[in-house]
Amino acid sequence: MSKILIVDDEAQLRRALTLNLAARGFATVEATSGEAAITAVAAERPDLVLLDLGLPGADGVVVLESMRGWTDVPVIVLTARDEERSKVRAFEAGADDYVTKPFGMAELVARIGAVLRRRHQGTADDVAVVETTDFTLDLAGHRALRGGDDARLTPTEFAIAAFLARNADRLITHRQLVTAVWGPAADPDTNLLRVHIRHIRRKLEPEPTRPRYFITETGIGYRFQPNA
Amino acid sequence: MSRGTLRIYLGASPGVGKTYAMLSEGQRRAARGTDVVIGYVETHGRPHTAAQVGGLEVIPRQTVSYRGATLEEMDVEAILARKPAVVLVDEYAHTNAPGARHEKRWEDVEHILDAGIDVISTLNIQHLESLNDVVFRITGVQQRETVPDAIVRRAEQIDLVDMSPEAIRRRMAHGNIYPPEKVDAALANYFRPGNLGALRELALLWLADRVEESLADYLVAHGIDKPWETRERIVVCLSGEDGGEAVIRRAARMAGRSRGELIGVFITEDNGLARVDSKHLDQQRRLVTELGGKCYEAVGHDSAETLVEFARREKATQIVLGAMHQSRFEELMRGSVVGRIARLVDDIDVHVIATSGDTLRARAGRGLPVARRRLVAAWVLLLAGLPLLTVGLVAVRQHTNLSTQLLLELVVVLAIAALGGVWIALLAAVVASLLTNWFLVPPHHTFTIAQPENIVALVIFVAVAAAVGFLVDLTARRATEARRARLEARALARSTASLVADPNPLPDLIDQIRATFGLDAVQLVDRDDGDTLAAAGTAASQPTVLEVTGDHGVSAELRLFGSLSADDTRLLRILADQLGLAIGSQRLANEARTAAELTEIDSVRTGMLRSVSHDLRTPLASIKAMVSGLLDPGVSFSADQVHQALLTVNEETDRLNHLVTNLLDASRLQAGTIAVHLDSVPIADVIDAAVHSSAVASNTVDLSDVGQSLLAWCDPILLERALANVIANAVRHQPDEARVRVEAVPIGEHTVIRVIDRGPGIPLTERRRVIEPFQRRDDSSNASGVGLGLAITEGFVEAMGGTVLLDDTPGGGLTVTITLAAQEPLG
Repeated sequence: MSKILIVDDEAQLRRALTLNLAARGFATVEATSGEAAITAVAAERPDLVLLDLGLPGADGVVVLESMRGWTDVPVIVLTARDEERSKVRAFEAGADDYVTKPFGMAELVARIGAVLRRRHQGTADDVAVVETTDFTLDLAGHRALRGGDDARLTPTEFAIAAFLARNADRLITHRQLVTAVWGPAADPDTNLLRVHIRHIRRKLEPEPTRPRYFITETGIGYRFQPNA
Repeated sequence: MSRGTLRIYLGASPGVGKTYAMLSEGQRRAARGTDVVIGYVETHGRPHTAAQVGGLEVIPRQTVSYRGATLEEMDVEAILARKPAVVLVDEYAHTNAPGARHEKRWEDVEHILDAGIDVISTLNIQHLESLNDVVFRITGVQQRETVPDAIVRRAEQIDLVDMSPEAIRRRMAHGNIYPPEKVDAALANYFRPGNLGALRELALLWLADRVEESLADYLVAHGIDKPWETRERIVVCLSGEDGGEAVIRRAARMAGRSRGELIGVFITEDNGLARVDSKHLDQQRRLVTELGGKCYEAVGHDSAETLVEFARREKATQIVLGAMHQSRFEELMRGSVVGRIARLVDDIDVHVIATSGDTLRARAGRGLPVARRRLVAAWVLLLAGLPLLTVGLVAVRQHTNLSTQLLLELVVVLAIAALGGVWIALLAAVVASLLTNWFLVPPHHTFTIAQPENIVALVIFVAVAAAVGFLVDLTARRATEARRARLEARALARSTASLVADPNPLPDLIDQIRATFGLDAVQLVDRDDGDTLAAAGTAASQPTVLEVTGDHGVSAELRLFGSLSADDTRLLRILADQLGLAIGSQRLANEARTAAELTEIDSVRTGMLRSVSHDLRTPLASIKAMVSGLLDPGVSFSADQVHQALLTVNEETDRLNHLVTNLLDASRLQAGTIAVHLDSVPIADVIDAAVHSSAVASNTVDLSDVGQSLLAWCDPILLERALANVIANAVRHQPDEARVRVEAVPIGEHTVIRVIDRGPGIPLTERRRVIEPFQRRDDSSNASGVGLGLAITEGFVEAMGGTVLLDDTPGGGLTVTITLAAQEPLG
């Protein structure tokens, strides 16, 4: 049974989450502040943390940063803010996913499931081939095949697609993607990224204008969904 | 036996440490071996003060019974019998219980002093008779116990026990002055920093014996101008010379005493002889402005008349001017200026202020105006010059012919014309022609003229004299008008120079124009929409209308009510162009300001939208999570879990509802569409309802200090909403173990409701901000709501004519004080 730490200062939301997660077979622990959250992570060793970004006193991002120094427990950020900036900061601080308030329980549980699954599989470095119903990414052979033919991705396009595929279901920020493809010194140019992604979609997606695999997270980054 | 000495510790307010200082002094003297006893001391249960009593001997108080109550008073007899060297007597201004030996404690002290015993006592400034009134106006607390200033001033030594307002409030908060929670509303009001600062200033002034002089500034500075009963308008004549400041100060003091208006005026005579020392004049103008007055200039023939005319126009009730140093000769020749002013007015009081030094000659008064002096000279020439000339010509008439004689006469007549104008010139021509005819034209000593050519010569003589006289008079008049216009322009320039820094100079400019040209009223009207841009005076007659044009599409007109000369109109036309430019640049500035305001509003709106959506979404998040969870067919919930879920949803919908109500209230407040139905309402009911609707647990609020039969003049629905917000806020910030106290007490004509919490409080610098809508106490916290609560409270209470005050709870926390009228205000 997975144990989930709920960090939120709203008693009602904690109650709603505890009740629902318990009914779905999760164990839950609650914390109402950033400090309490850090103590609880150390003492309770949860499998996953649901962290509210708008905590009184300390910013959720700060709490996340101070946790990342010593634990890699998966963190899903809950936020009522639409500001992309704080989301980007949360991802750069090491968040695994985010859910915007108000959210449906089904969506949250799906995200929790995906994050936990990913955690169990470990990183996808050893995966050689990513297969979808529409195309195949041969990570070892540096080829993308569509209907048996080479989709002719450029090396950069392939590097982007491969990095996203290795982190399937995870939201990858612009910066993370740029760092992975061009190295840490590169400047994250979102326009350039957008052009590459458009090319990748045209070559791989069945309907490039309505992507099913390479999903845009507006203002933050991209996410690869293998089995859409 | 010599009389004892009196030493008084004077304090600006309770709690500065007077009693402590008195006791310390007693201890010090006792330690030196002096025989010190305590005649009467009131420690108010203050531990530090009580400790200071130490080992000093206390004379037991005597008890006086009055109407069944037993009161304790100082035992004067016992002190006299004990005969110490020094006796400490607290509260010098105390009124004894009826039946005591003296009515007042200071009389007891007099008695003790007479017995040769030294007395050390304490006194608060509000008990000083001369300050009683002012203190009442500052604090709103009436002190009935007063001591005549003269008695206090007789003390051998007066020590001011001084403490900064901040320190007093700190002491107060620490419970050193009153036990926490015991501070009643009157005292909380009394101890506002503004009040304490004002009282402190007053104490220092009294000690320096400068109260009277500073009172005017003081009242103005502290905005103590409410009961502005009779508005005196005091016109003070600026001398523009050394020493005139004293006159202005004196006038300001008079204005201050009667809470009147101060109007400074500088009079220029249009003879062009006056020389203005602009340094002194500027100084005096500045002084008048600093003293809260307004400054004008007026130009006229005669300074006395101009001054009186100006005073009439300004509806002055008093005229103040410096005494003039005229010699007896000047006074005889030209008449006393003051006398003339006094004769000219019968409805305005004229005050002549003696000034030191002989440099001050009020501008109002260099005796006769030039025009009249010249007229006198013309008459002298006419009555003495012409006959003398004629006598001279008679002596030499054998050697001269008639034309030479007539030309010589003509010279004198022209001189008379130049001096006295056309009418006297005509008279002089006739007189000269008659004299010539009688004495010089043969046959002599008759008006009969023998030769016809002499008749022609005489007629031509009169005609030429009249024509030249007319021309000379016209030129002189023109010159005077031109000079006057120039002077007026200069006066206006001086006046307007000081307005440059003013963001909206138009009203002052218009007022200056009105005053300078002596008009009834001046209006500046926008032609496009008929809006009055600026106006001064009361319009009565038909106006003269001047067009005002300028850049930026300005089209306006200047309406001038009152009589204007041609020169005035010419000058005003130039001014109108200047006005056009001023309006244009003002419009530009306004547009820039509006743009800046819009940007500001925009960013406020964005911030507001963000926090509103945040606050709306937080309860929505709980509801959505709960409901969507319940809807999931794959999960089964127990009955208890379902109940829990519904409970949460219910609470959160309440919260949403509350938020939406607040948003609506706030927008109604901002739109100014609040309907207020005032009525006399029992306050306890409203408070109960507010506690209920604030949805706080009833055991978190202590209502034991709510006056049950108390009424307030308010709208019960608005008050409930206002109070519910404050109470909800207080409960939210209250630490768990304590309860929020709500009290309602009558204070004077008001009903005061106080909501007292012991939470973190709000720092002084934040208080203004939290009352602004959509400003939450802590931006990142989502516990406290959009921060509409206090804004709505203030909006509603002010709509009901009340006030909201945020204050520290002594010992920590926030106290919100809502003051409402106790009953329907009269009138």
